[in-house]
Amino acid sequence: MAAGIYVDKVRKVFGTFEALKSVSLDVQPEEFTVLLGPSGCGKTTLLRIIAGLETETSGELRIGDKRVNGLPPRNRNIAMVFQNYAVFPHLTIFENIAFGLRMKKLLNSEIEPRVKKAAGMMHIEHLLDRYSAQLSGGQRQRVAVARALAMEPEVLLMDEPLSNLDALLRLEMRAELKGLLAESRTTTIYVTHDQVEAMSLADRIAVMHGGHIIQYDRPIEVYQNPANAFCGGFIGNPPMNFLQAERENGHCRIAGAALPGPSASQGNGRVTLGIRPEDVLVAETAASEHLTGRVTVVEPLGPHNLLTLAVDQQLFRVTTAADSPIKSGQEVYLALAPERRRWFDTESGKALH
Amino acid sequence: MITERTLPYWLLAPSLVFLIALFAYPFADAFFIAFRADGQWTFDNFRTMVDDINFGLSLWNTMLLVLIVVPLQIAIALTMAMMLTKIRAGRDLVLYVWTIPLGISDLAAGVVWLALLSERGYINTVLSALGIVDGPALWLSYETPVALFIAVILAEVWRATAIVMVILVAGVQLIPKEYNEAAEIFGASAWQRFVKITLPLLKPSLQTALILRTLLAFEVFAVVVALGGRDLPVLMGEAFLWQFDYRDSGVASAYAVLILLISIAFTLVYLRVLRVKEEAE
Repeated sequence: MAAGIYVDKVRKVFGTFEALKSVSLDVQPEEFTVLLGPSGCGKTTLLRIIAGLETETSGELRIGDKRVNGLPPRNRNIAMVFQNYAVFPHLTIFENIAFGLRMKKLLNSEIEPRVKKAAGMMHIEHLLDRYSAQLSGGQRQRVAVARALAMEPEVLLMDEPLSNLDALLRLEMRAELKGLLAESRTTTIYVTHDQVEAMSLADRIAVMHGGHIIQYDRPIEVYQNPANAFCGGFIGNPPMNFLQAERENGHCRIAGAALPGPSASQGNGRVTLGIRPEDVLVAETAASEHLTGRVTVVEPLGPHNLLTLAVDQQLFRVTTAADSPIKSGQEVYLALAPERRRWFDTESGKALH
Repeated sequence: MITERTLPYWLLAPSLVFLIALFAYPFADAFFIAFRADGQWTFDNFRTMVDDINFGLSLWNTMLLVLIVVPLQIAIALTMAMMLTKIRAGRDLVLYVWTIPLGISDLAAGVVWLALLSERGYINTVLSALGIVDGPALWLSYETPVALFIAVILAEVWRATAIVMVILVAGVQLIPKEYNEAAEIFGASAWQRFVKITLPLLKPSLQTALILRTLLAFEVFAVVVALGGRDLPVLMGEAFLWQFDYRDSGVASAYAVLILLISIAFTLVYLRVLRVKEEAE
């Protein structure tokens, strides 16, 4: 049975450092939520508080209908996958996967089929008699996930489970996890600093920064309509471009062009324009609303070329077709897709609509 | 000559020479002496040893001391090590205080406990001031062998638990805390985590501590002499008596050989029972 998770105004203070500043989050039953943010943003702290490994300074936590504040982890009906796997070295893989079931005092006749089933899902049936030291990192990762799945928990917590794997293996495990977890329909909270992982796995992404949840929405929303400049810059590779603009009577002046500004909050002053590299068309002739820029670097990446430009002395990145003839040093004109332009308050970074 | 290849051996040489000259050679010599009498190979020294009136008692006392003191020390040291993991502020201070007995020689430790437990010692003073005993009670006399035995146990535990604790504290620190957290998440209570995770992962340190402590416990001597003189015969004390009072190096060496054999036997048992399976390392 999958349960929802409700986090209400949770704060966490370590000494004088406020790791979480009144964070609220609701995860629906069977939902897959990713906590995404740079290191030190509080994502792991939040996960550990939900797990019960860390105690919140204030705020309320519920899993399903049960208030879990003050409950030890074992009474929260959760399972967790750790970053360093934490596969017990002195137990066989079978006993590792069976650990939680044994703690529940299940009979051997109940434990064995559940261990085998979980091992089967992770394709490690052949490793059950071995010890952790005899396995590769990827295999240990599978054991850690199998141990969590065997519990059939209400809530599955994953703390950067793929970050210790090499790139190729990570890609493979990511797809496998996604299929597996969609099938098991377990409510999942997954912590990562890898925005591609977050985009690929999440039903909803909670972007964290400086102890706050800045945006909590579907991946495509977070990608297309970042709540602030930080979200835009953190998600996407290469990240969103930002250009400083001067506001004048509803229009914004950037690099010699006048663009229609954000409809809300008329007035003068500085705003920031955000646009993703793939939403810019590179033209060799000028037109109204085109920005002028000089190409400084051309990086052919195979599927496309990545251009780095100076626009009004600000850094700007654009992707073009791999066969594009544009060369470094060339002056080009940039057409920004009108429906993809995003505006931010330069001072606070908040999105303007 | 000294080259890059031979340098390590040159650096090892002094300690090797030292060990051979001052440890291996005297030891071989003691072995030799134990099996020689009147210029012949013989078991006479061992026969004299076994026939001696104090032999059985000293063997029994030593064994009993080891069997009580060592498990007690392991249990106390484990408790101390586990408590230390829970302390944040002042942890180092507590650790330093607990290790003070490490710096005290065993004879000095015996004398300290003598001052506490003797007829006119602190404990008697306090007890009679509180009216619990009428006049000084005898703890360390041949008439109160049990009290004397307990006093020796107390002094030994006080004196030599710290070394076990230091080894175990180092071992506990090597266990990544994620193992305990994982066990906690997967339903283990504090006691289950201790028994199922901490203890098995502590096996190598436990093995080291047990071997070290047991070997030293079989050589218990100075504390016993300080507290009980000859009222509590132990193997090492008998060896000392035969060497210096009876002037019989042969029998003294026989005792030394016996202690060595018992020590080797216990070490082998520990190595076997507490071995860590190679694949589970």
